Amino acid sequence: MSEPMISSRWTPFLFLAPALAGLLIFRIAPIGVALAGSLTGVSLMGEARFVGAENFRYLLEDAQFWSSLKITLFFNLLINPLQLFVAFALALLVFRPLPGLWLYRTLLVLPMAVSTGISAVLFGLFLDGNLGPLNGFLEWIGVGAQPFHRSQEQALYTLIGIATWKGAGYWMLFLLAGLYSIPPTVYEAATIDGATSWQRFRFVTLPLMRKPMAFVLVADTAINFLFFAPVYILTSGGPAGTTSLLMFEAYRAAFTFSDIGRSLAISTILLGIILVIVVLEFRLLRSPEERA
Amino acid sequence: MEARLANPHAMMLRYGLLSILAFIVVCPLAWLALASLRPQGEIFQPVSEFGWSTFVPSRFTLDNYRALWAGDFPLAVKNSAFVAVSTVLLGIGVNALAGFAFAAFDFRGKNLLFLLVIASFMMPFEAIVLPLYVMIRAFGWANSYQALIVPEIANGMVIFLFRQFFASIPRDFYEAARVDGASWLYIFTRIAMPLSWPTIATSGLMLFLSQWDSFFWPVVAASNPDYAVVQVAIARNVNFEQSDWGGLFASTNVAILLGTIPFLLVQRFYVRTLISGGIK
Repeated sequence: MSEPMISSRWTPFLFLAPALAGLLIFRIAPIGVALAGSLTGVSLMGEARFVGAENFRYLLEDAQFWSSLKITLFFNLLINPLQLFVAFALALLVFRPLPGLWLYRTLLVLPMAVSTGISAVLFGLFLDGNLGPLNGFLEWIGVGAQPFHRSQEQALYTLIGIATWKGAGYWMLFLLAGLYSIPPTVYEAATIDGATSWQRFRFVTLPLMRKPMAFVLVADTAINFLFFAPVYILTSGGPAGTTSLLMFEAYRAAFTFSDIGRSLAISTILLGIILVIVVLEFRLLRSPEERA
Repeated sequence: MEARLANPHAMMLRYGLLSILAFIVVCPLAWLALASLRPQGEIFQPVSEFGWSTFVPSRFTLDNYRALWAGDFPLAVKNSAFVAVSTVLLGIGVNALAGFAFAAFDFRGKNLLFLLVIASFMMPFEAIVLPLYVMIRAFGWANSYQALIVPEIANGMVIFLFRQFFASIPRDFYEAARVDGASWLYIFTRIAMPLSWPTIATSGLMLFLSQWDSFFWPVVAASNPDYAVVQVAIARNVNFEQSDWGGLFASTNVAILLGTIPFLLVQRFYVRTLISGGIK
């Protein structure tokens, strides 16, 4: 019997205490604060009074909020499938052995080490209309200089491009893990049955990649709903509000307009959206498991 | 047996595509690094003069870096280094202890607590920045190092990685040490931790990158320039219409190098861990 071994009943809890305290105080408690704060009118100076659903009512009556919500949804509708597609293409390219592949892999994941804010500064310079080489190149080949993040038409797409430059290599790693987990015997069996390489991809790779692709799509979505640093650094929500994503609106409510209640109401709505996504994620991840 | 590897056309196509993609990734980084070595007067070169000189400086100089060192940028580097190193050290200790507890013990509520850990890393940190700020202000921590460090120490993903590793060591191993009279703390520090150095390296990089990438939180929690980390210090100086281009280029390049060097050193373990344990 190993019973007396675990005589120290409290030992596991002593080992767990620092980490669990950290998670409870700094991850779980803020969710409660967001909920409670969204129901009060709190100024930055800290006076609070209960206002019930008033913050939410104001939000729902506010055209600015609806426009931000629409932009946030549109942004996510574009960026998440795009990043999944690029990451999957990269994973397929670096999956099978090739001499010198390690170098390409390292270069493709390198932007992981460049922080999001710095990547925004970097592209602010790289795309600049006066000194950015990309515009020089575009003029040189005759396309002509582009305004990028400084124009209403291109700002949101520029942000999507920068985020994809930064994120594709990271998501590629998860899909690569998925590709490695497909047993080679499945491919061999398909080849013996006479499947062409397209058929192997369509009927073996794609269905077996469902779980990692679902993981990437949903985790990526949860992150992109909270897209902030490049908006703050490059566009401040502009030009003409075309990049006013909700996370930036929450920041602006708190720090420009000193309206913590409104800010926490936006945070609560974002938390709600992400909660739905996480639940969806667990669902998507579970169903293929049942077959296995 | 790899028929496709032998096909020279498919190989050329893959090399071609990979080279284009790698070029897209590297080009902005290389341009910035080279431009930061230009003499100040040469940086602002009109885009219409596109050619080799867009990328290659006429003369290499470290003047931009020397000037940077005289300003407040070193303080930001020091702040970032202090915050990142503290988070890595404390985070490895705290999260490894928890991972060990999940792997080595059976106790009431274990599954529920582990679910809490998993849930905590499914929730992106940015979502709770504003409510967390309200809390930190109530603690009297606004504009302090602890505001930047303490909330980032406990990390569900790192707990998860340590648990996976410690669970791979047979329990008999731990219990044999118990029979010999070792305390659990001794087993953790002298037996389990020394075995887990690849996990320590990966977790260290993960904690480092989470701090390194953190922008929203430092902007909100430490608005005082004395506590500005590198990213925030640079973002505050950016207006894209300034005269000190040399300083902006050099500081941005330093920020990129500081993140890249630890990444390249530990990358191999990190990628392997993400690939093998990332989506269990």
